[in-house]
Formats: sequence, structure tokens, C-alpha cells
Amino acid sequence: MRLFQFLMIFLIGLLILEGVKYGAGFSDYLIPPLNEITTMIFKKWRNFLMPSLNTLLVAIGGHFLAIVLAAIVAFTARSGSVLSNIVKTAAYNLQAYPVVAIAPLVFIFLGDGLTSRLLIATIICYFPLLLNFLGVFSEPVLDVEHFFKQTGRLDSIMEIKIRVFENLEKIVTVITGSATLAMVGTIVAEFLAATMGIGYVIRKALYQNNLAAILSCLLYIGLCSSLFLLGLEWLGKIIKKRLMA
Amino acid sequence: MEISAQNISFGYREAEYPLFEKISFRISGPGFYSLFGFSGCGKSTLARIIAGFLEPAAGSLSITGIKNILLSYNTERLPGWFSVGEHLAQVVSPRSSRGELDYFISEFGLSNYVHKKFFRLSMGQKNRANLIRYLVQDFDMLICDEVLANVDEPSRNHILAVIKENFGKDRVLFYISHNVEEVCLFSKKIFVVPASDVTRGRLVEIEGLDATKKHKEDHGNEKTLQTTILKVLKAASSAHKQEGES
Repeated sequence: MRLFQFLMIFLIGLLILEGVKYGAGFSDYLIPPLNEITTMIFKKWRNFLMPSLNTLLVAIGGHFLAIVLAAIVAFTARSGSVLSNIVKTAAYNLQAYPVVAIAPLVFIFLGDGLTSRLLIATIICYFPLLLNFLGVFSEPVLDVEHFFKQTGRLDSIMEIKIRVFENLEKIVTVITGSATLAMVGTIVAEFLAATMGIGYVIRKALYQNNLAAILSCLLYIGLCSSLFLLGLEWLGKIIKKRLMA
Repeated sequence: MEISAQNISFGYREAEYPLFEKISFRISGPGFYSLFGFSGCGKSTLARIIAGFLEPAAGSLSITGIKNILLSYNTERLPGWFSVGEHLAQVVSPRSSRGELDYFISEFGLSNYVHKKFFRLSMGQKNRANLIRYLVQDFDMLICDEVLANVDEPSRNHILAVIKENFGKDRVLFYISHNVEEVCLFSKKIFVVPASDVTRGRLVEIEGLDATKKHKEDHGNEKTLQTTILKVLKAASSAHKQEGES
């Protein structure tokens, strides 16, 4: 469904663009004709699919890192100690900062390779995850925890288990939502300085004023993002189904 | 085994008035005690104070001969990732046995439902499953705050009789309920909280029928039961008199 929706939106967008082109009489140089775009999409698919998959892999890696990092920090910060309050305050304040602005610094220090792309993807999707995990991990589920607390069975693992289970829907939603941010982060990194990935292909196409190539990139990125989100949603459904069975 | 509350007061910070002021009561020896009063009079708060979850703002609460106090309430939930049976089997205390657990499961009518997840049970079944896990813990006093609120009346009476039979002789059972009939029937002593904006003074103490499983269906008790019910309801409604006395 998600894939179909994306394809429909892309097609509508393409038709509007062509409508504007013929309506306003724009040249083929500015907006290429439909057949040129479709040729680019279907005949040169390898030029776009491979970089898109490369971007997707980096986004998945960055997203995974962000999830692990956010879970560790939220777990440490849930206790209500001075350190945890500092971490919470810092997280709330930092999430208001446009972290993408520090991407150039990452490239300066770490170069234009995989590490920089991975790190930027992680940074971009990290804060929404952290805030959600902080909320879930530090909010007691009194009606479930009460018994364990009274009988001395509420250790950290049980506490987190209860809170995660009770907020599974919320966690799956934020993980899926932040996956898009991971894709955005990776593409932004590739736009800026990387020499691989679909962002880099778009940057090259931009320098050449090649709108057909840019549109092809958008299609393949969209397909990869949709697949990524579909995969996460499917995974979430499987986990929920197993736990609720 | 004794709990003695002397002039305890309590109020929530955000509230305009205290919930209760200088209230006193005494529980002495094992048995089935009840706390009765209309909604919002502070029964659950008092239960939380006895269980040690809240500190009274003033007054003293002395507890002797009672080490483990457990408090159970009706909206509690079992973890959702286990079946009810798996959870219960995991939380049986060393003092209780698997046989004891199976006995309660059977007596409480849950034998056919233990393979289910908690959220798949009806409200009444949830109440029963929650109560069972408390009964297989080490406790000297169990406070039951409307734990059977969603259970049908015949099952509730049977469950209360089973609890009394098993724990009434050597533990303190402190039962909070809105059901005046079961409170009067099973309790050794009923503490009635009079209706008022602020509860003050000594709680009204009324002798209950202290019925057991055998007496439950004894119609000879009917008249005594009705008299006790009337006494409790009268005490619960007599706000002005109680306040005046204090």
C-alpha cells in the first residue's frame, strides 16, 4: 500500500510537471519530456538503483546505531539521578538545534567516507528516538509494576521490559518515523561532501542541470524509503503479533 | 499482630482540604477486617498509608507483629508477554507451593483460562488472576482494595470464603469494598468511614458476622445480616454526628 501510494504520488507529480512544461511552453532543456524521463528511469536504472541501495544500507546502519545509542542513554538516564537529569535536559535542548548544521564539521574531521555518512544519519534520527525512549523508560506503568515492586521482583530489566511492552505501539511508530530521518540524514551527508550514494548522484545531476536524472533519483530513493519503512512496519507487526498471541 | 492508628491526618498537596484529620482505629489479631465508606472518603489512601506507600502528615501508625504487608487493587495488570499460568507459576513464593497455586486457580474458576494472556481475560477474570498471585506470596497482611470489583456476586462470595478459610486464622486480611452485604457477612470487624468532606475522629467500628464457607448459606443469619447492614449504612451516612463527636 505504502509503495503504491508513493508511485501514485510520483506519477501525479510527474504529470503536473509535464502539464506545467507544455502549459507554459518551457523548453526540453528546462523540463525534459516524459519519454526522456522514462528512458532514464527504465534504461539507466542501474545508475540510480545501486546508489539508492547504497544510501539505504547506510541509513539502515545509522538508524540501527541511533536506536542502540538512544536505548543505552535512555536506560542510563531513567533513574532520576543528577546525571540522568542532566542528560534529559541536554537531550531536550539539543533536539531543538538543527543538528544537520554540524554535518560539515563531521566531514572536516572524519573525511568524506562511510563513517561521516553513517554518523550524520545517526545524529539526524537520534534525538526523536532518545526523547521517545526517555519518556517510555522513565514513565512507570504503576498498574503492572506495583506487584513486582512490592514483592521485590522489580529489577532494571523487568522495569524496562514492562515499560517497553506497554508502549510498544509508541516505540514502533517512532522507530518507523525516525527511519525516514535516517534516510534524510544520509542523503544530506551525500549532498554535502560524500562521493557515494544517491545524494552524490543528485548533486552531480544538479551540476549538469539534468532534471531527468534528478527525477529518476527521486523515484529510486522513494522506492527504497518505502521498502525500508515497509520492512520496519512488518517487523513491528511480527513482534507485536508474537507478544500478543 | 496489631495495627494502631492514632490521630493520623493526610491531605494531597493539590487538594484544598485534607482528606482526613486525626483519625484513629485499631486492628488486633489475625482475621478478616473490612473498610467501608462511600466513594472518595479516603479508603484507598488509608490503605496506602498502612501499606507504607504514603506517610501521614501527622499522627502515628504503629504496626507490631506484622512484617510483610501487601496491597492489591483492582486495576492492576499482569505482564502481557506471559500467559496467566506462566506468570503465576513464576511468581509463586518459596513459602507457597505449586499445589497451593493450582488450588486457588481451581477454586477461583480460572482453570480453563490460565493459558490465555491477561489482556484476553474478562474484567472479572483479571481481578481473580491478580488476587491469586498475591495469595501465593509471603505476607502477614493483605490489603485488598476493591480487588473483586468486577467479579460476579456468587463467585465473589465463594472467593472470600476461600480466602478466609485459608488465611483468616493466621494473617490479617483488610478488605475494602463498596458491597455492604459481603462486608457485613465475612468481616470480623468493619471500619466505617462516615460520609464527610473531611473525615475526622475515630472510625466507626461494627462487629461483622465473620461468616465462613459453611455459614454463608445459613439462612438463620439473614436477620443478623440485615441488622448489621443497616448499622453500617447508618454509620456511613452519619457525617455530622461523627464530626460533632470529634
